[in-house]
This record gives sequence, C-alpha cells and structure tokens, in this order.
Amino acid sequence: MSHSEVPLGRGSVLQANGRQGLAAAWRLGDRSGLAMLVIIGLVIATGAMFALSVTVGASDASVTSLIATLLGFGDADAALSARDRIIILDIRLPRAVLGLMIGASLAVSGVVLQGLFRNPLADPGLVGVSAGASLGAVGVIVLGGTVLAPLFALAGIYTLPLAAFFGGLATTFLLYRIATRGGQTSVATLLLAGIALAALTGAVTGVLVYMADDKQLRDLTFWGLGSLAGATWSKVVAIAPIILVSFLVIPFLARGLNAITLGEAAAFHMGVPVERLKRIAIVAVAAATGASVAVSGGIGFVGIVVPHLLRLVIGPDHRTLLPASALLGGALLLFADMIARTIVAPAELPIGIITALAGGPFFLWLLLRGRAQLGL
Amino acid sequence: MTLHARNLTLSLGSKRVLDGVSFTARTGELTAIIGPNGCGKTTTLKVISGEIRKAGSVTLFGRPLEAYKPWELALRRGVLAQHTTIAFPFTVREIVGMGVTAGTGATSASAEEQAIERALAAVDLEGFAGRFYQDLSGGEQQRVQLARVLCQVSAPVRDGEPAFLFLDEPVSSLDIRHQLSIMALARRFADAGGGVIAILHDLNLTAMYADHVVMMRAGTVAAGGAPQAVFTDDTLQSVFGCTMRVGVAPPIGTPFILPQTAIH
Repeated sequence: MSHSEVPLGRGSVLQANGRQGLAAAWRLGDRSGLAMLVIIGLVIATGAMFALSVTVGASDASVTSLIATLLGFGDADAALSARDRIIILDIRLPRAVLGLMIGASLAVSGVVLQGLFRNPLADPGLVGVSAGASLGAVGVIVLGGTVLAPLFALAGIYTLPLAAFFGGLATTFLLYRIATRGGQTSVATLLLAGIALAALTGAVTGVLVYMADDKQLRDLTFWGLGSLAGATWSKVVAIAPIILVSFLVIPFLARGLNAITLGEAAAFHMGVPVERLKRIAIVAVAAATGASVAVSGGIGFVGIVVPHLLRLVIGPDHRTLLPASALLGGALLLFADMIARTIVAPAELPIGIITALAGGPFFLWLLLRGRAQLGL
Repeated sequence: MTLHARNLTLSLGSKRVLDGVSFTARTGELTAIIGPNGCGKTTTLKVISGEIRKAGSVTLFGRPLEAYKPWELALRRGVLAQHTTIAFPFTVREIVGMGVTAGTGATSASAEEQAIERALAAVDLEGFAGRFYQDLSGGEQQRVQLARVLCQVSAPVRDGEPAFLFLDEPVSSLDIRHQLSIMALARRFADAGGGVIAILHDLNLTAMYADHVVMMRAGTVAAGGAPQAVFTDDTLQSVFGCTMRVGVAPPIGTPFILPQTAIH
C-alpha cells in the first residue's frame, strides 16, 4: 500500500483523496469522504452564522470589536460601548447559543426518530412529541403559581425543561407502543397515532390555556408560535445540561440506528441490543425535544428538512448524518432567527412562522420529488 | 462443534407453530431444513437465531443461546432473512460495510475496502458497490444481504472458533446460475469448517449440496438424516402430500432440467 493508513473511521478521506479522489470513492458507493468534507464545511458555516447572528441586528457591532471585547484586549475605540456590550453579551449571545442548541436538538431528534421508526417522515413536531412537551411546559407555566408551586421550589429553573421532557417522553413512549407491533412499526399507525396524540394533548393544553390569566396568556401565545425572544443566560443554563447529556449519548446510537435501517430483526442479528437501543433513543429524543420546546415553543420542520437535505448529499449513514444534522440544524435556526428579528425590525416575528413558511413548501417539494425513493 | 435445538415449541394465538422440534446441526456440514409452506421452517430459524426467545432450548457451541450477548452472537452466527427492505437510500457498499462493523470490524479503511470487495465478488456482484440498494432487483438485493452476512462472520473458522450461517431461502429469488453459485458458496463455507443451516425449497439442490436434511411437517420434524435416507417416495408423499417418484425420468417429450448436470 503506497498510501498512508490514517484511521479516520471507515474509508478514510485521505485515502480517497490520495488514491482515487472523492468522486471515485463516491462512485464506489463510499460517501464517507464526502461526508467528512461536508461536516468540515458545516463547522465553518455554523461558526460564521453564529458570529453573524451575534453582530447583526438593530445595533451593529463588528466582529473584530466583538472579539476584542470578549477577550478583553484592544484599545477603547475597538472595544464596544457599554450599551452595545449589554446588547451583545446579555441579549444576542445567549440567544445565539440557545438557537444553536435548539436547532441542533431538533435536527438530531428528527434523525433519531426517523431512524428508530425507519421512516423519513417521523419528526418531533409531526408525530406529537413536541405537543406532549408543550403540554408539560404549559402545565408548568399556568399551574406553576398554584398547584405546581412545590415543584418550582424543588427544581427551580429546571422545572420547565423537566416538565417538557416528561411530557415529551410520555407521548414518545405511548406513540411507540401504539405504532409498533411485533417489532414492526406501521407508518400509517405512526402518523395517525401521532395526530391523535397531538390532538389529545392539544386539547388538554387548551384547557390549561383557558385557565390562564392575562399575563400568562401573552407568554403562552408568543411561546406557542415558537420564538427565541427573551433568551437569557439562565435559560441557557436551564436547558444546557439536558441537551448536553442527550448529545453525549446519541453518537453511541449511530451504529445501531444504521443496523435498524435493515429492520429490527436484522439489527439484532448484527449484534445490536435492539430493545435497549430503542429505550435510550426515546429518552434522548424526549430530552432534547423537551428541553428545546421548553424555551422556544414549537419550532417546526427543522427536524424533517435538515436530515432530508443531508441524506441527499452525504447519505443516510448515522455516523456522519448525526453530526452534520446537528451543525446544519443549528446554522439554519440561527439564520431563521436573524430573519425573524430583522425583517420587521424593530418588532420581530416568531421564528416558528419563518421555519414553517420555508419548511412547509420545501417538505412538500421533497415529498413530490422523492416519492418513489422514500417508499411512500 | 454443534448447534442443538431441543423440543422447540411455540404457539402464536391458538395456532401451534412449532410442536417439539429437535435437531442437531454440525459445523463442517450443510444442514437443509425443508418442508411445505407454513410448516414452521422460518419460525425454527428465528428461534435458533435468538430472535424468538423462550421457545425451547437452543445451545450453540455448548452454550445456551440466552447466555450470549447480542454482539457475541453476531460473531458466531450470521443470519440471512428471506426479504430485507431498507428504510433509507443506502448504497450497496454502505450496506455490506455494516456487516464489517457488526463483526470484528476492520483494522483499517483499506482492510474494510478489501473485505467488502471480497464479499461482493463471492456473491457475483463485482462493480455493484456504488449502486443504490433500492435500484437493484430482488435477487441482487438478496445477494447484497448475503455479502453483508459474509462480512459479519468474516470466516468459517476464525482463531479456532467456527461460525454458523443461517440462511432463509437463500436461492429462492435467484436465477439458476446464481442458485448454483450461492449453494456452492455455502458448500465451501461448510467444507472450510463452518456450519450452514439453510431453508430450501428446491429438493434437487438440497440433494446436491446438503449433508443433513431436516424435513418438517406442521411444526414437527417428520424425518431427518442424509438426503439419500430422507428422500424416499413415502416420506415425500407424507410430507408434501403429492405422489412423486425419486430418481425417475419424466415421460419422453417433457423437457426437464437437472441442476446436477451443471459443471463447476
């Protein structure tokens, strides 16, 4: 072998580049080299989007002055004014961090659910997981001052994300039990049960909203449409542990999710502890979705558009699809948020409207274009 | 070096699918399970692969099946299902690569590449690596899955430890040439010290390649032994319910093909 064997997972990029080139590797059915390049590109793009979303807005600040401020060097001219400091450090930065975390969570949750249900249509929003998380969150918002007050005393800022987590967990688990029979998950049952569960939890949420007072109502309305407005460092702190834990777990599911693509029986034959994988995956998705919903409300279509788009380019291998989706999900949500807060400035649109406006038609286009390939 | 299945019994609803199935399969041999549709062949394979639990006692290489962790089983036996549909557009290379990952894994990217190429060549699918699985015909898909299984167990005997292949109708969707080449592949696996348990429908191929035949009827083992001992006019009559005579040519003017005449 003339090429150096650098272990870069399977089918190394170096080998592909050095010996045959990326195109040749692709022709041989090996998309891992391409996937690595895409991931590297996405890291750069996401970083750029993050910087952009911190600097762009009603009060402009250059990237250099931002870096100078953050690192605490440079002369007084280069650094930001006190007012800009507050805007950047206490408003935009936590908002960008939240956007990144939530976009990544939603996209990764979509990938995991789609792998688990062996169906590209599964999405936290479409199959009712977000609705369950919403119920948990609304319950805490409305009843937090009265019935659930002891809960708040106990869990503090973590109450809302935890409630959303358990709401999401309950619906995901129910959904899975309903739609899976004998190791086979029926697509029709999955989607219909998701709609039924979403309607049911929506009704209960409705009752809670009906009970809400005026201030709670205003919070709920804006929150329900999905928004990153009102991002604070304490919200970041409240959801970061939950999201980080699920992000530490999910990479270990990649191999099993690949195997499950061939069916649960085949996955078991290939040495995957299928039942354990499913339990872990459901809890991880509920955690990531629940935490996201708790702070941002229902932001749709990220979990379905991002994985679809990436599968077209780098293929369905979860070892590369998961990190790529996390990055693209984060970048896309930051981009959507920039539009949401600049398009009608100084007011802002709920981000859920932007993602639905862009994601809905895109989703339809994907459906019409790929009907045969998706087996619909 | 054996697989023992003892008294496999399973009911689905009110129907008794398996009713006291016992047999032994040895490494170095090709064991064929044959019998009419719905007699419990696939269910038997699911029990011995560990997919269906608590349906009797199965010991693989002297150890009860329940004592194996899923990944340990994956190293000692590979399973080819009758049909495999996949949920996402994987390429042939990516699917076969999953077999490598499921087995001992590859020490380097080029080792993995070689394992995949070897397995694809073994099932006569050279040059198919870059094709999408969903674009292939049923027979080609079945051979891709076999290549994946071959990558998973990697060798009939590895470090002194033999492995089994469980094949559910490996040749039923294949043309005659590939029926012969896949049966020959299974034969070589057994000759090299591995074990093969295959569900077959073709009695001629069974007679040609099997060392041991387990003939099933209505959830029971109706007969077992070497093909010469099992394939008699009487057993075929009682198991399949149609009167046939073994080893007699049809009337003149009826074309008939004997796969036994193939030269390889």
